[in-house]
Amino acid sequence: MTSTDKSLDQNELRRGRTLNFPEPNAALPENSAKALWTHSLIQARRLLVSWARDPSTAIQALLYPALTLIMFRVVLGNSISAATGQPSIYGTVPLIILVGAMFGSIASAVGLRTEKTSGLLSRFWTLPAHRASGLVGRMIAEAVRVLVTTIVIIGVGFIAGFRFNQGPVAAIGMLLLPIVFGIGFAVMVTALATVSDNLPLVEIVSIGCTLLMFFNSGFVPTMAYPVWLQPVIAAQPMSVAVEAMRGMSLGGPVLVPVLKTFAWSFGMIAVFLYPAIKGYRRAASD
Amino acid sequence: MQWWVLTGRTLRAMIRRYELVIAVIAPLIFTVGFYLPLKFVMQLQGIDYAQFLMPIIVLQAMAFTSISAAQMSAREKITGFSSRMQTMPVYGPVPLLSRMSSGFVRSVVSLTAALVYGHAIGFRFTEGIGQAALFCGLALVFSTCLSLGADAIGSLSKSPQATSQALTLPQLILGMLSCGFVPETGFPEWIRPFVRNQPVSQFSFAMRDLAHGGVTSHTMFPVVMWSLGLLVVCAPLAYWASTRRA
Repeated sequence: MTSTDKSLDQNELRRGRTLNFPEPNAALPENSAKALWTHSLIQARRLLVSWARDPSTAIQALLYPALTLIMFRVVLGNSISAATGQPSIYGTVPLIILVGAMFGSIASAVGLRTEKTSGLLSRFWTLPAHRASGLVGRMIAEAVRVLVTTIVIIGVGFIAGFRFNQGPVAAIGMLLLPIVFGIGFAVMVTALATVSDNLPLVEIVSIGCTLLMFFNSGFVPTMAYPVWLQPVIAAQPMSVAVEAMRGMSLGGPVLVPVLKTFAWSFGMIAVFLYPAIKGYRRAASD
Repeated sequence: MQWWVLTGRTLRAMIRRYELVIAVIAPLIFTVGFYLPLKFVMQLQGIDYAQFLMPIIVLQAMAFTSISAAQMSAREKITGFSSRMQTMPVYGPVPLLSRMSSGFVRSVVSLTAALVYGHAIGFRFTEGIGQAALFCGLALVFSTCLSLGADAIGSLSKSPQATSQALTLPQLILGMLSCGFVPETGFPEWIRPFVRNQPVSQFSFAMRDLAHGGVTSHTMFPVVMWSLGLLVVCAPLAYWASTRRA
Protein backbone atom coordinates (compact mmCIF):
# COMPACT_ATOMS: atom_id res chain seq x y z
CA MET A 1 0.00 0.00 0.00
CA THR A 2 1.47 3.37 -0.93
CA SER A 3 1.28 6.43 1.23
CA THR A 4 -1.29 8.07 -1.03
CA ASP A 5 -3.60 5.06 -0.66
CA LYS A 6 -3.24 5.29 3.07
CA SER A 7 -4.18 8.96 3.14
CA LEU A 8 -7.11 8.21 0.87
CA ASP A 9 -8.39 5.59 3.31
CA GLN A 10 -7.88 7.98 6.15
CA ASN A 11 -9.97 10.56 4.28
CA GLU A 12 -12.69 8.06 3.59
CA LEU A 13 -12.71 7.04 7.23
CA ARG A 14 -13.02 10.67 8.21
CA ARG A 15 -15.97 11.06 5.88
CA GLY A 16 -17.75 8.34 7.85
CA ARG A 17 -17.12 5.46 5.46
CA THR A 18 -15.66 2.42 7.11
CA LEU A 19 -13.56 -0.41 5.74
CA ASN A 20 -14.42 -1.83 2.35
CA PHE A 21 -15.91 -5.23 3.12
CA PRO A 22 -17.14 -6.90 -0.04
CA GLU A 23 -20.85 -6.60 -0.56
CA PRO A 24 -22.53 -9.82 0.55
CA ASN A 25 -23.84 -11.54 -2.54
CA ALA A 26 -24.67 -14.97 -1.12
CA ALA A 27 -26.55 -13.94 2.02
CA LEU A 28 -29.38 -16.27 2.89
CA PRO A 29 -32.10 -15.54 5.38
CA GLU A 30 -30.86 -17.15 8.61
CA ASN A 31 -33.77 -19.50 9.02
CA SER A 32 -34.42 -20.48 5.41
CA ALA A 33 -34.30 -24.09 4.29
CA LYS A 34 -31.63 -23.26 1.77
CA ALA A 35 -29.46 -21.80 4.51
CA LEU A 36 -29.88 -24.95 6.56
CA TRP A 37 -28.73 -27.07 3.63
CA THR A 38 -25.75 -24.87 2.66
CA HIS A 39 -24.55 -24.21 6.20
CA SER A 40 -24.93 -27.84 7.24
CA LEU A 41 -22.80 -28.94 4.32
CA ILE A 42 -20.14 -26.43 5.30
CA GLN A 43 -20.16 -27.74 8.88
CA ALA A 44 -20.06 -31.35 7.70
CA ARG A 45 -17.16 -30.62 5.42
CA ARG A 46 -15.30 -28.85 8.21
CA LEU A 47 -15.65 -31.89 10.48
CA LEU A 48 -14.70 -34.38 7.79
CA VAL A 49 -11.59 -32.42 6.87
CA SER A 50 -10.52 -32.16 10.49
CA TRP A 51 -11.09 -35.90 11.03
CA ALA A 52 -9.19 -36.77 7.90
CA ARG A 53 -6.23 -34.70 9.08
CA ASP A 54 -6.23 -36.06 12.63
CA PRO A 55 -4.45 -39.41 12.79
CA SER A 56 -6.12 -40.48 16.04
CA THR A 57 -9.57 -40.31 14.43
CA ALA A 58 -8.38 -42.44 11.53
CA ILE A 59 -6.87 -44.92 13.97
CA GLN A 60 -10.04 -45.08 16.06
CA ALA A 61 -12.50 -45.20 13.16
CA LEU A 62 -10.61 -47.38 10.66
CA LEU A 63 -7.42 -49.04 11.89
CA TYR A 64 -8.68 -50.43 15.22
CA PRO A 65 -11.92 -51.86 13.79
CA ALA A 66 -10.01 -53.46 10.92
CA LEU A 67 -7.46 -54.97 13.30
CA THR A 68 -10.14 -56.17 15.69
CA LEU A 69 -11.89 -57.86 12.78
CA ILE A 70 -8.70 -59.71 11.82
CA MET A 71 -8.07 -60.66 15.47
CA PHE A 72 -11.55 -62.02 15.99
CA ARG A 73 -11.27 -63.98 12.78
CA VAL A 74 -7.83 -65.45 13.46
CA VAL A 75 -8.26 -66.09 17.18
CA LEU A 76 -11.88 -67.08 17.58
CA GLY A 77 -13.06 -67.70 14.03
CA ASN A 78 -12.27 -71.39 13.75
CA SER A 79 -13.51 -72.27 17.24
CA ILE A 80 -16.78 -70.42 16.78
CA SER A 81 -17.40 -71.68 13.24
CA ALA A 82 -16.74 -75.26 14.39
CA ALA A 83 -19.07 -74.95 17.37
CA THR A 84 -21.94 -73.29 15.54
CA GLY A 85 -21.65 -74.74 12.04
CA GLN A 86 -21.91 -71.26 10.52
CA PRO A 87 -19.00 -69.14 9.23
CA SER A 88 -18.29 -66.70 12.03
CA ILE A 89 -17.19 -63.95 9.64
CA TYR A 90 -20.84 -63.19 8.77
CA GLY A 91 -21.39 -62.20 12.38
CA THR A 92 -18.02 -60.55 12.93
CA VAL A 93 -18.13 -58.17 9.94
CA PRO A 94 -21.50 -56.61 10.91
CA LEU A 95 -20.44 -56.49 14.55
CA ILE A 96 -17.21 -54.65 13.78
CA ILE A 97 -19.00 -52.21 11.47
CA LEU A 98 -21.36 -51.31 14.30
CA VAL A 99 -18.54 -51.11 16.82
CA GLY A 100 -16.62 -48.82 14.48
CA ALA A 101 -19.67 -46.59 14.11
CA MET A 102 -20.19 -46.45 17.86
CA PHE A 103 -16.61 -45.76 18.89
CA GLY A 104 -16.30 -43.23 16.07
CA SER A 105 -19.32 -41.41 17.49
CA ILE A 106 -17.80 -41.46 20.94
CA ALA A 107 -14.56 -39.97 19.63
CA SER A 108 -16.51 -37.28 17.82
CA ALA A 109 -18.51 -36.48 20.95
CA VAL A 110 -15.25 -35.94 22.80
CA GLY A 111 -14.26 -33.62 19.95
CA LEU A 112 -17.54 -31.76 20.38
CA ARG A 113 -16.66 -31.13 24.00
CA THR A 114 -13.28 -29.75 22.98
CA GLU A 115 -14.99 -27.41 20.50
CA LYS A 116 -17.22 -26.25 23.29
CA THR A 117 -14.40 -25.50 25.75
CA SER A 118 -12.27 -23.83 23.09
CA GLY A 119 -15.15 -21.49 22.28
CA LEU A 120 -15.45 -22.57 18.67
CA LEU A 121 -19.13 -23.45 19.03
CA SER A 122 -19.88 -20.07 20.56
CA ARG A 123 -18.03 -18.43 17.71
CA PHE A 124 -20.24 -20.22 15.19
CA TRP A 125 -23.28 -19.25 17.22
CA THR A 126 -22.49 -15.55 16.69
CA LEU A 127 -22.49 -15.96 12.90
CA PRO A 128 -25.59 -15.42 10.79
CA ALA A 129 -25.90 -19.14 10.15
CA HIS A 130 -28.91 -21.40 10.44
CA ARG A 131 -29.30 -22.41 14.10
CA ALA A 132 -29.66 -26.09 13.27
CA SER A 133 -26.73 -26.27 10.87
CA GLY A 134 -24.18 -27.21 13.54
CA LEU A 135 -26.08 -30.27 14.66
CA VAL A 136 -27.33 -31.29 11.21
CA GLY A 137 -23.85 -30.85 9.74
CA ARG A 138 -22.42 -33.04 12.49
CA MET A 139 -24.92 -35.79 11.71
CA ILE A 140 -24.13 -35.62 7.98
CA ALA A 141 -20.43 -35.94 8.78
CA GLU A 142 -21.18 -38.92 11.06
CA ALA A 143 -23.12 -40.60 8.26
CA VAL A 144 -20.22 -40.17 5.83
CA ARG A 145 -17.77 -41.50 8.39
CA VAL A 146 -19.91 -44.57 9.09
CA LEU A 147 -20.19 -45.26 5.37
CA VAL A 148 -16.40 -45.08 4.94
CA THR A 149 -15.86 -47.40 7.91
CA THR A 150 -18.43 -49.83 6.53
CA ILE A 151 -16.74 -49.98 3.13
CA VAL A 152 -13.29 -50.47 4.66
CA ILE A 153 -14.48 -53.22 7.02
CA ILE A 154 -16.33 -55.04 4.25
CA GLY A 155 -13.14 -54.78 2.16
CA VAL A 156 -11.09 -56.36 4.94
CA GLY A 157 -13.86 -58.89 5.45
CA PHE A 158 -13.57 -59.96 1.82
CA ILE A 159 -9.98 -61.06 2.49
CA ALA A 160 -11.26 -63.15 5.38
CA GLY A 161 -13.97 -64.89 3.37
CA PHE A 162 -16.93 -62.54 3.65
CA ARG A 163 -19.15 -62.51 0.53
CA PHE A 164 -22.47 -60.99 -0.57
CA ASN A 165 -24.60 -64.02 -1.34
CA GLN A 166 -27.87 -62.14 -1.71
CA GLY A 167 -27.29 -59.89 -4.69
CA PRO A 168 -26.62 -56.19 -5.21
CA VAL A 169 -29.79 -54.81 -3.60
CA ALA A 170 -29.02 -56.56 -0.34
CA ALA A 171 -25.42 -55.37 -0.58
CA ILE A 172 -26.55 -51.75 -0.89
CA GLY A 173 -28.90 -52.30 2.02
CA MET A 174 -25.96 -53.54 4.04
CA LEU A 175 -24.08 -50.32 3.33
CA LEU A 176 -27.03 -48.15 4.34
CA LEU A 177 -28.31 -49.90 7.45
CA PRO A 178 -25.24 -49.01 9.59
CA ILE A 179 -25.83 -45.35 8.73
CA VAL A 180 -29.34 -45.46 10.20
CA PHE A 181 -27.99 -47.21 13.27
CA GLY A 182 -25.03 -44.83 13.48
CA ILE A 183 -27.20 -41.71 13.35
CA GLY A 184 -29.44 -43.03 16.11
CA PHE A 185 -26.39 -43.71 18.24
CA ALA A 186 -24.77 -40.37 17.38
CA VAL A 187 -27.87 -38.43 18.45
CA MET A 188 -27.78 -40.24 21.78
CA VAL A 189 -24.07 -39.61 22.35
CA THR A 190 -24.41 -35.95 21.35
CA ALA A 191 -27.20 -35.52 23.87
CA LEU A 192 -25.18 -37.23 26.59
CA ALA A 193 -22.02 -35.28 25.79
CA THR A 194 -23.75 -31.91 26.03
CA VAL A 195 -26.37 -32.47 28.68
CA SER A 196 -23.98 -32.28 31.60
CA ASP A 197 -20.52 -30.85 32.10
CA ASN A 198 -19.64 -32.85 35.16
CA LEU A 199 -20.90 -36.38 34.71
CA PRO A 200 -18.55 -38.63 32.71
CA LEU A 201 -21.47 -39.86 30.58
CA VAL A 202 -19.43 -40.40 27.44
CA GLU A 203 -16.94 -42.53 29.38
CA ILE A 204 -19.80 -44.59 30.79
CA VAL A 205 -21.21 -45.10 27.29
CA SER A 206 -17.74 -46.13 26.14
CA ILE A 207 -17.48 -48.82 28.84
CA GLY A 208 -21.02 -49.93 28.03
CA CYS A 209 -20.12 -50.30 24.36
CA THR A 210 -17.06 -52.38 25.19
CA LEU A 211 -19.35 -54.67 27.13
CA LEU A 212 -21.99 -54.77 24.38
CA MET A 213 -19.26 -55.76 21.93
CA PHE A 214 -19.14 -59.15 23.67
CA PHE A 215 -22.85 -59.50 24.26
CA ASN A 216 -24.54 -59.57 20.88
CA SER A 217 -25.37 -62.17 18.29
CA GLY A 218 -22.42 -61.16 16.09
CA PHE A 219 -19.72 -62.21 18.53
CA VAL A 220 -21.16 -65.69 18.88
CA PRO A 221 -24.70 -66.73 17.88
CA THR A 222 -27.39 -66.10 20.48
CA MET A 223 -27.82 -69.76 21.31
CA ALA A 224 -24.23 -70.01 22.61
CA TYR A 225 -25.00 -67.64 25.48
CA PRO A 226 -26.35 -68.85 28.83
CA VAL A 227 -30.10 -69.40 28.55
CA TRP A 228 -31.03 -66.67 31.05
CA LEU A 229 -29.08 -64.15 28.98
CA GLN A 230 -30.45 -65.09 25.55
CA PRO A 231 -33.57 -62.87 25.51
CA VAL A 232 -31.44 -59.81 26.33
CA ILE A 233 -28.84 -60.72 23.71
CA ALA A 234 -31.45 -61.26 21.02
CA ALA A 235 -33.29 -58.00 21.67
CA GLN A 236 -30.42 -55.53 22.10
CA PRO A 237 -29.93 -53.03 19.26
CA MET A 238 -26.60 -54.35 18.01
CA SER A 239 -27.93 -57.90 17.70
CA VAL A 240 -30.93 -56.95 15.59
CA ALA A 241 -28.71 -54.91 13.27
CA VAL A 242 -26.21 -57.77 13.08
CA GLU A 243 -29.00 -60.21 12.22
CA ALA A 244 -30.30 -57.87 9.53
CA MET A 245 -26.85 -57.58 7.98
CA ARG A 246 -26.27 -61.32 8.30
CA GLY A 247 -29.50 -61.78 6.37
CA MET A 248 -28.34 -59.37 3.67
CA SER A 249 -25.01 -61.15 3.20
CA LEU A 250 -25.11 -64.81 4.23
CA GLY A 251 -28.86 -65.21 3.96
CA GLY A 252 -31.76 -65.54 6.38
CA PRO A 253 -34.58 -63.35 7.62
CA VAL A 254 -34.13 -59.70 6.70
CA LEU A 255 -37.43 -57.84 7.06
CA VAL A 256 -38.07 -58.39 10.76
CA PRO A 257 -34.52 -57.58 11.95
CA VAL A 258 -34.45 -54.50 9.69
CA LEU A 259 -37.72 -53.27 11.17
CA LYS A 260 -36.37 -53.90 14.67
CA THR A 261 -33.20 -51.96 13.81
CA PHE A 262 -35.34 -49.08 12.55
CA ALA A 263 -37.39 -49.23 15.72
CA TRP A 264 -34.25 -48.99 17.88
CA SER A 265 -32.61 -46.30 15.75
CA PHE A 266 -35.63 -44.06 15.32
CA GLY A 267 -36.53 -44.71 18.93
CA MET A 268 -33.14 -43.43 20.03
CA ILE A 269 -33.54 -40.40 17.75
CA ALA A 270 -37.02 -39.72 19.13
CA VAL A 271 -35.88 -39.91 22.73
CA PHE A 272 -32.58 -38.08 22.43
CA LEU A 273 -33.19 -35.55 19.65
CA TYR A 274 -34.73 -32.91 21.87
CA PRO A 275 -32.04 -33.24 24.60
CA ALA A 276 -29.40 -33.15 21.85
CA ILE A 277 -30.82 -29.91 20.40
CA LYS A 278 -31.10 -28.38 23.84
CA GLY A 279 -27.63 -29.55 24.83
CA TYR A 280 -26.06 -28.31 21.62
CA ARG A 281 -27.70 -24.94 21.99
CA ARG A 282 -26.49 -24.69 25.57
CA ALA A 283 -22.98 -25.78 24.61
CA ALA A 284 -22.87 -23.17 21.85
CA SER A 285 -24.43 -20.24 23.67
CA ASP A 286 -22.99 -20.54 27.17
CA MET B 1 11.66 -40.74 52.58
CA GLN B 2 11.52 -38.91 49.23
CA TRP B 3 10.29 -42.16 47.76
CA TRP B 4 7.50 -42.35 50.31
CA VAL B 5 6.32 -38.78 49.68
CA LEU B 6 6.28 -39.20 45.91
CA THR B 7 4.55 -42.57 46.09
CA GLY B 8 1.84 -41.11 48.31
CA ARG B 9 1.42 -38.27 45.85
CA THR B 10 0.90 -40.52 42.82
CA LEU B 11 -1.41 -42.80 44.76
CA ARG B 12 -3.62 -39.89 45.73
CA ALA B 13 -3.67 -38.70 42.12
CA MET B 14 -4.65 -42.21 41.08
CA ILE B 15 -7.64 -42.20 43.40
CA ARG B 16 -8.69 -38.74 42.26
CA ARG B 17 -8.55 -39.78 38.62
CA TYR B 18 -10.62 -42.90 39.27
CA GLU B 19 -7.71 -44.96 37.96
CA LEU B 20 -8.13 -47.49 40.73
CA VAL B 21 -11.81 -47.86 39.83
CA ILE B 22 -10.81 -48.56 36.24
CA ALA B 23 -8.22 -51.08 37.45
CA VAL B 24 -11.07 -52.91 39.18
CA ILE B 25 -13.61 -52.63 36.33
CA ALA B 26 -11.36 -53.58 33.40
CA PRO B 27 -10.84 -57.22 34.45
CA LEU B 28 -14.58 -57.51 35.16
CA ILE B 29 -15.44 -56.53 31.59
CA PHE B 30 -12.92 -59.00 30.22
CA THR B 31 -14.05 -61.79 32.51
CA VAL B 32 -17.75 -61.61 31.66
CA GLY B 33 -17.04 -60.49 28.08
CA PHE B 34 -15.12 -63.63 27.23
CA TYR B 35 -16.44 -66.17 29.70
CA LEU B 36 -20.19 -65.96 29.08
CA PRO B 37 -20.15 -65.97 25.25
CA LEU B 38 -17.34 -68.50 24.79
CA LYS B 39 -18.08 -70.93 27.60
CA PHE B 40 -20.38 -72.98 25.36
CA VAL B 41 -18.05 -72.87 22.35
CA MET B 42 -15.14 -74.10 24.47
CA GLN B 43 -17.19 -76.74 26.25
CA LEU B 44 -17.66 -78.44 22.89
CA GLN B 45 -13.89 -78.79 22.73
CA GLY B 46 -13.84 -80.23 26.25
CA ILE B 47 -12.32 -77.19 27.93
CA ASP B 48 -13.24 -75.93 31.41
CA TYR B 49 -13.21 -72.31 30.29
CA ALA B 50 -13.11 -70.64 33.72
CA GLN B 51 -9.90 -72.48 34.55
CA PHE B 52 -8.54 -71.90 31.05
CA LEU B 53 -9.39 -68.20 30.79
CA MET B 54 -8.34 -66.65 34.10
CA PRO B 55 -4.56 -66.49 33.49
CA ILE B 56 -5.04 -64.36 30.37
CA ILE B 57 -7.59 -62.16 32.14
CA VAL B 58 -5.04 -61.53 34.84
CA LEU B 59 -2.29 -60.90 32.29
CA GLN B 60 -4.50 -58.51 30.32
CA ALA B 61 -5.33 -56.65 33.51
CA MET B 62 -1.61 -56.36 34.23
CA ALA B 63 -0.96 -55.05 30.73
CA PHE B 64 -3.69 -52.48 31.27
CA THR B 65 -2.03 -51.19 34.42
CA SER B 66 1.23 -50.84 32.53
CA ILE B 67 -0.48 -48.64 29.95
CA SER B 68 -1.64 -46.43 32.79
CA ALA B 69 1.97 -46.40 33.99
CA ALA B 70 3.05 -45.06 30.61
CA GLN B 71 0.38 -42.37 30.77
CA MET B 72 1.56 -41.39 34.23
CA SER B 73 5.19 -40.97 33.23
CA ALA B 74 4.19 -39.12 30.05
CA ARG B 75 2.07 -36.75 32.13
CA GLU B 76 4.91 -36.10 34.58
CA LYS B 77 7.23 -35.41 31.69
CA ILE B 78 4.88 -33.03 29.88
CA THR B 79 3.77 -31.04 32.88
CA GLY B 80 7.43 -30.47 33.65
CA PHE B 81 7.19 -32.38 36.90
CA SER B 82 10.13 -34.60 35.93
CA SER B 83 12.35 -31.64 35.11
CA ARG B 84 11.31 -30.01 38.36
CA MET B 85 12.37 -33.10 40.28
CA GLN B 86 15.69 -33.07 38.50
CA THR B 87 16.40 -29.50 39.62
CA MET B 88 15.74 -30.40 43.24
CA PRO B 89 17.98 -32.44 45.50
CA VAL B 90 16.02 -35.58 44.73
CA TYR B 91 18.02 -38.74 44.30
CA GLY B 92 18.00 -39.72 40.58
CA PRO B 93 15.92 -42.87 40.33
CA VAL B 94 13.47 -41.94 43.11
CA PRO B 95 10.69 -40.59 40.83
CA LEU B 96 10.91 -43.76 38.75
CA LEU B 97 10.83 -45.95 41.87
CA SER B 98 7.84 -44.12 43.27
CA ARG B 99 5.95 -44.49 39.98
CA MET B 100 6.77 -48.18 40.02
CA SER B 101 5.63 -48.69 43.60
CA SER B 102 2.35 -46.86 43.11
CA GLY B 103 1.88 -48.83 39.91
CA PHE B 104 2.55 -51.96 41.93
CA VAL B 105 -0.28 -51.05 44.29
CA ARG B 106 -2.58 -50.63 41.30
CA SER B 107 -1.51 -54.00 39.91
CA VAL B 108 -2.22 -55.69 43.24
CA VAL B 109 -5.67 -54.10 43.31
CA SER B 110 -6.39 -55.20 39.75
CA LEU B 111 -5.05 -58.71 40.40
CA THR B 112 -7.18 -59.09 43.51
CA ALA B 113 -10.25 -57.94 41.61
CA ALA B 114 -9.54 -60.37 38.78
CA LEU B 115 -9.15 -63.27 41.20
CA VAL B 116 -12.44 -62.42 42.89
CA TYR B 117 -14.23 -62.47 39.51
CA GLY B 118 -12.43 -65.69 38.67
CA HIS B 119 -13.63 -67.30 41.85
CA ALA B 120 -17.16 -66.22 41.00
CA ILE B 121 -17.10 -68.04 37.65
CA GLY B 122 -15.50 -71.16 39.10
CA PHE B 123 -11.75 -70.64 38.85
CA ARG B 124 -9.94 -72.48 41.66
CA PHE B 125 -6.39 -72.95 42.95
CA THR B 126 -6.03 -76.69 43.52
CA GLU B 127 -2.27 -76.94 44.02
CA GLY B 128 -1.89 -75.38 47.42
CA ILE B 129 -0.84 -72.06 48.77
CA GLY B 130 2.72 -72.10 47.42
CA GLN B 131 1.75 -72.46 43.80
CA ALA B 132 -1.11 -69.98 44.22
CA ALA B 133 1.39 -67.45 45.59
CA LEU B 134 3.68 -68.14 42.67
CA PHE B 135 0.70 -67.51 40.33
CA CYS B 136 0.26 -64.06 41.83
CA GLY B 137 4.01 -63.52 41.84
CA LEU B 138 4.27 -64.28 38.14
CA ALA B 139 1.44 -61.85 37.37
CA LEU B 140 3.23 -59.10 39.31
CA VAL B 141 6.58 -59.85 37.68
CA PHE B 142 4.87 -59.59 34.30
CA SER B 143 3.26 -56.32 35.33
CA THR B 144 6.56 -54.89 36.64
CA CYS B 145 8.48 -55.76 33.47
CA LEU B 146 5.84 -54.20 31.25
CA SER B 147 5.47 -51.15 33.50
CA LEU B 148 9.22 -50.48 33.33
CA GLY B 149 9.10 -50.60 29.55
CA ALA B 150 5.92 -48.55 29.41
CA ASP B 151 7.37 -45.99 31.82
CA ALA B 152 10.35 -45.53 29.53
CA ILE B 153 8.11 -45.08 26.49
CA GLY B 154 5.97 -42.59 28.40
CA SER B 155 9.03 -40.59 29.50
CA LEU B 156 10.25 -40.37 25.94
CA SER B 157 6.89 -39.52 24.37
CA LYS B 158 5.20 -36.23 23.74
CA SER B 159 1.60 -36.92 24.74
CA PRO B 160 -0.21 -39.28 27.13
CA GLN B 161 -3.03 -39.96 24.64
CA ALA B 162 -0.69 -40.90 21.82
CA THR B 163 1.26 -43.13 24.21
CA SER B 164 -1.76 -45.09 25.33
CA GLN B 165 -2.98 -45.44 21.75
CA ALA B 166 0.41 -46.70 20.63
CA LEU B 167 0.61 -49.20 23.49
CA THR B 168 -2.92 -50.53 23.04
CA LEU B 169 -1.86 -51.99 19.71
CA PRO B 170 0.84 -54.40 20.96
CA GLN B 171 -1.35 -55.26 23.92
CA LEU B 172 -4.21 -56.18 21.62
CA ILE B 173 -2.01 -58.18 19.26
CA LEU B 174 0.05 -60.04 21.86
CA GLY B 175 -2.97 -60.58 24.10
CA MET B 176 -5.30 -61.89 21.42
CA LEU B 177 -2.71 -63.83 19.41
CA SER B 178 -1.85 -66.00 22.39
CA CYS B 179 -2.98 -69.31 23.75
CA GLY B 180 -4.78 -67.44 26.52
CA PHE B 181 -8.25 -67.20 25.00
CA VAL B 182 -8.32 -70.25 22.76
CA PRO B 183 -6.04 -73.29 22.57
CA GLU B 184 -3.32 -73.34 19.95
CA THR B 185 -5.36 -75.67 17.74
CA GLY B 186 -7.96 -72.93 17.30
CA PHE B 187 -5.50 -70.85 15.29
CA PRO B 188 -4.78 -71.15 11.59
CA GLU B 189 -1.71 -73.29 11.00
CA TRP B 190 0.59 -70.55 9.68
CA ILE B 191 0.43 -68.42 12.81
CA ARG B 192 0.79 -71.18 15.41
CA PRO B 193 4.58 -71.01 15.91
CA PHE B 194 4.33 -67.34 16.82
CA VAL B 195 1.30 -67.87 19.02
CA ARG B 196 2.88 -70.76 20.90
CA ASN B 197 6.22 -69.14 21.67
CA GLN B 198 5.40 -65.54 22.46
CA PRO B 199 5.70 -64.48 26.11
CA VAL B 200 1.99 -64.03 26.87
CA SER B 201 1.30 -67.63 25.85
CA GLN B 202 4.23 -68.92 27.90
CA PHE B 203 3.05 -67.01 30.95
CA SER B 204 -0.48 -68.29 30.49
CA PHE B 205 0.74 -71.92 30.25
CA ALA B 206 2.71 -71.60 33.47
CA MET B 207 -0.07 -69.81 35.35
CA ARG B 208 -2.66 -72.31 34.20
CA ASP B 209 -0.53 -75.15 35.57
CA LEU B 210 0.16 -73.25 38.77
CA ALA B 211 -3.56 -72.94 39.40
CA HIS B 212 -4.44 -76.48 38.45
CA GLY B 213 -2.32 -79.49 37.60
CA GLY B 214 1.00 -78.40 39.03
CA VAL B 215 3.82 -76.68 37.25
CA THR B 216 7.03 -78.30 36.03
CA SER B 217 10.43 -76.74 35.52
CA HIS B 218 9.92 -77.41 31.83
CA THR B 219 6.99 -74.96 31.75
CA MET B 220 8.60 -72.49 34.10
CA PHE B 221 11.91 -72.21 32.26
CA PRO B 222 10.69 -70.06 29.31
CA VAL B 223 8.76 -67.82 31.66
CA VAL B 224 11.81 -67.18 33.83
CA MET B 225 13.90 -66.52 30.76
CA TRP B 226 11.33 -64.12 29.28
CA SER B 227 11.05 -62.28 32.60
CA LEU B 228 14.83 -61.95 32.96
CA GLY B 229 15.13 -60.84 29.35
CA LEU B 230 12.39 -58.22 29.69
CA LEU B 231 13.89 -57.00 32.95
CA VAL B 232 17.40 -56.73 31.53
CA VAL B 233 16.12 -54.65 28.62
CA CYS B 234 13.41 -52.58 30.31
CA ALA B 235 14.93 -51.67 33.69
CA PRO B 236 18.03 -49.86 32.34
CA LEU B 237 15.89 -48.30 29.63
CA ALA B 238 13.42 -46.93 32.19
CA TYR B 239 16.29 -45.68 34.36
CA TRP B 240 17.94 -43.96 31.42
CA ALA B 241 14.70 -42.44 30.12
CA SER B 242 13.63 -41.07 33.48
CA THR B 243 16.97 -39.57 34.54
CA ARG B 244 17.87 -38.20 31.13
CA ARG B 245 18.01 -34.41 30.85
CA ALA B 246 15.68 -33.04 28.23
